[in-house]
Amino acid sequence: MLDEWSLTILQSDPMKIYRAKRDAAHRAVTSKYTILGFISSGTYGRVYKAQSADSDGIIYAIKKFKPDKEGDVATYTGISQSAIREMALNREISHENIVALKETILEEKSIYMVFEYAEHDFLQVIHHYSQTLRIQIQSQILKSMVYQLLNGLFYLHSAHILHRDLKPANILITASGVVKIGDLGLARIIYQPLQPLFAGDKVVVTIWYRAPELLMGAKHYHKAIDCWAVGCVFAELASLRPIFKGEEAKLDSKKNVPFQRDQLLKIFEVLGTPQERDWPGVTDMPEYQNMKRLDPYQNRLEEWCQSRIRSLQGHDLLRQLFAYDPDKRLTAKEALLHKWFQEDPRPTWNVFHHIAAHQLPPQRRIQDEAPSMMGVPAPTHAQTQPQAQAAHVHGQGQHLTHQSQANLSQQSKSASTTSFASVSAGPGPGQSYAGNQGNTSRKKARVG
Amino acid sequence: MATGFWSSTHYKRWIVDRATLRQARATDMRYVGDPEYFIHLSLFFANVITKLGKKLAFRQRVIATAIVFFRRFYLKNSYCETDPFIVIAACCYVAGKAEESPCHIKNITAEARLLFSQQPYGVKNFSVDNSKLAEMEFYLVADLECDLTVFHPYRTLMSLCRKEGSNESQTEAGEVGVGIDDGPRYWGTGEGQLELPDEALQLAWSIINDTYRSDLCLLYPPHLLAIIALYLTLALHTPTKELIMQKSQLSPSDDSHVSPRRSSRQASASSFGSKKPQDFIGFFAGLNVSMPLIATIAQQMISLYSIWERYKEDVDTSDTARSAFCTQTNSPYSATTQGTGHTLAEGRSASHSRVGTPVVETPDDIRKVDGLSVVTPATLVQTLTRMRENRLSDLARHSTGGRPVVINKMLERAQAAG
Repeated sequence: MLDEWSLTILQSDPMKIYRAKRDAAHRAVTSKYTILGFISSGTYGRVYKAQSADSDGIIYAIKKFKPDKEGDVATYTGISQSAIREMALNREISHENIVALKETILEEKSIYMVFEYAEHDFLQVIHHYSQTLRIQIQSQILKSMVYQLLNGLFYLHSAHILHRDLKPANILITASGVVKIGDLGLARIIYQPLQPLFAGDKVVVTIWYRAPELLMGAKHYHKAIDCWAVGCVFAELASLRPIFKGEEAKLDSKKNVPFQRDQLLKIFEVLGTPQERDWPGVTDMPEYQNMKRLDPYQNRLEEWCQSRIRSLQGHDLLRQLFAYDPDKRLTAKEALLHKWFQEDPRPTWNVFHHIAAHQLPPQRRIQDEAPSMMGVPAPTHAQTQPQAQAAHVHGQGQHLTHQSQANLSQQSKSASTTSFASVSAGPGPGQSYAGNQGNTSRKKARVG
Repeated sequence: MATGFWSSTHYKRWIVDRATLRQARATDMRYVGDPEYFIHLSLFFANVITKLGKKLAFRQRVIATAIVFFRRFYLKNSYCETDPFIVIAACCYVAGKAEESPCHIKNITAEARLLFSQQPYGVKNFSVDNSKLAEMEFYLVADLECDLTVFHPYRTLMSLCRKEGSNESQTEAGEVGVGIDDGPRYWGTGEGQLELPDEALQLAWSIINDTYRSDLCLLYPPHLLAIIALYLTLALHTPTKELIMQKSQLSPSDDSHVSPRRSSRQASASSFGSKKPQDFIGFFAGLNVSMPLIATIAQQMISLYSIWERYKEDVDTSDTARSAFCTQTNSPYSATTQGTGHTLAEGRSASHSRVGTPVVETPDDIRKVDGLSVVTPATLVQTLTRMRENRLSDLARHSTGGRPVVINKMLERAQAAG
């Protein structure tokens, strides 16, 4: 005969013993890592800089997915598709030019992904050159950044993974100058999908980096969308500002995807209006009728490149990454073999190899007084809004706008005391990092 | 499919040996009574997952992934300390997301609750609360160590074979082949594909479904399971074998159906279209896998079919190959099994010799197969309940007495006998 305890368990909470066992064996995140500060936040949650409590004391970036709330109490509502993708894909891949996942910890309704730490990112480098140095990125550095980016992308594509959110903020650089593609939250495997890609995510890629076939309403797309984004990133590195800086038309109340008129115009202004001969099938695209109504433009990419890229081969690479027809667009592999990378200066494995010490981009700025996990106004759908880009993904803390800075400082006043909810003021052990002074002034320059 | 099977977490972390399996089951084995029930439970749970998956309109691959998650979970846990039904629901929930075919948590809770409340399951306490399922998901993903990319034999089968008269390699209906590299196979030397009649391909597909009803998906890489499915279909299933032989002799001599093939397989593919019968032995030899290993796994599969003969459950028979291997007591293929050194009967007695002293079962079903009582889902649900109750009362006893002690085997056996 069963006693009362057993009956209760069997009838009301049959997994109680199992959970107790698992909880007892669990090693808490905070026992394994010391939080050094807060790096950035986005719709998914936030990123912290942390140090391993092991004797090696290695620095990591911990991405904490925010737990769902019911009122004030965190509750289980199911792991998001995006978190599942990022967790699953990162377990399978390993490449020099992809941010490496150390481990994933599931604890107290939150998911913590522990990534290798990267000191810089493309967006930060662009700001450093445009705001602080006020010069163009030297061609050797530019070429190395693009080459390593393509190298990482080639790996992803050979593994049948589409990144679907390449942009400067998602591409990191370590202190030793190695490019690391990050944020696989929108990435997915495209090998024999059970459903068309379009069925899963209606909108992919941040608008400025979105390929024309997506803007034209294509239901099917492939690796070429990532290659287009690489072209946009390449152009942005060369000119220090986004090449196609369009205004995003918002989804309507029925979540229909609108015609992205402004973004297409920005593309046509540089690349000209696409013709049937460069893009067979363009006339059959869902948005073709809308597109026809736009003013016609001539291609002036060559002119655009003259002052910015200053290399015929560089122009040729960009031209081929910007092929309108996705099937003619250069693949990552073809791009790696492009002549531009074979002519001097050659790309280097430390992108900062030839940079003078005083020109190095500063270290990532982290906030030691982190805002509380609770109630930060989430930027709406950061993945598709360039406005929210600054607050998106690994390490954009230094690019926060006035608005979010204000929010953050307000938040920090009511910060709770748990270490992942906030990090107490004042540098703790291991929290002294160089360049704080410089960071502050840099922030002012940038925010202004 | 991400970076290829050999560098995957599936291969590196989740292919285990029999010793690991035994160790993982030690606790359950103390409570299950008849060890053969354990094999039946594997079958039973796979059927439950398949049923729930079908209610959720999942594709076969999603169902297979859910079953693999379930098996992996029970490498670390025991039936008797958990509620397998909530685990099943969570496996389906995660598999939907892992295979990019997500299903809303509300639907899964509702469908699972409805299905499990019916007989023979009779689960009365499945929570209406979505957060209970989400909580289980959370623990499940942690136990799966976030390894959510699973490889399946179906794709190998389809790259090895094609339907008779078709010139495109087969994909599961509805698969969108955008942007896919149709690269060369990374193993084997065979260039050509076997051309099979519909029935044979279907049988092989069903045999693959059946591998998930056992532990084979934990023990062997999926491409080997695809090959044993072909092997069982072509070498051991006489009706299919005869059918193919007959068809290849009657095969018309026109080559029209093989003309536009994209890959380098073209040359060999067109040779299949000619009057020359297909060279099955050459095909298997060209696969560059260990044939003794294939024969061993095939034998395990046959043993399973014979053990399953004792199990009676009304299921949709469309996705299983059981009927092809089980119900023929005067099996027409027994003559052809000589090559493997085992007949069906031998496989059966071998499996029985492992069974220790079978516990006498409460005779709620007196039908017998070969002198053994028939096992039904109801038997298994009862067994499961008894296992969990006994485990709990043992734990309760130990929790009062401090540290857990070694279970008294005598007492346990007495309990198991009722």
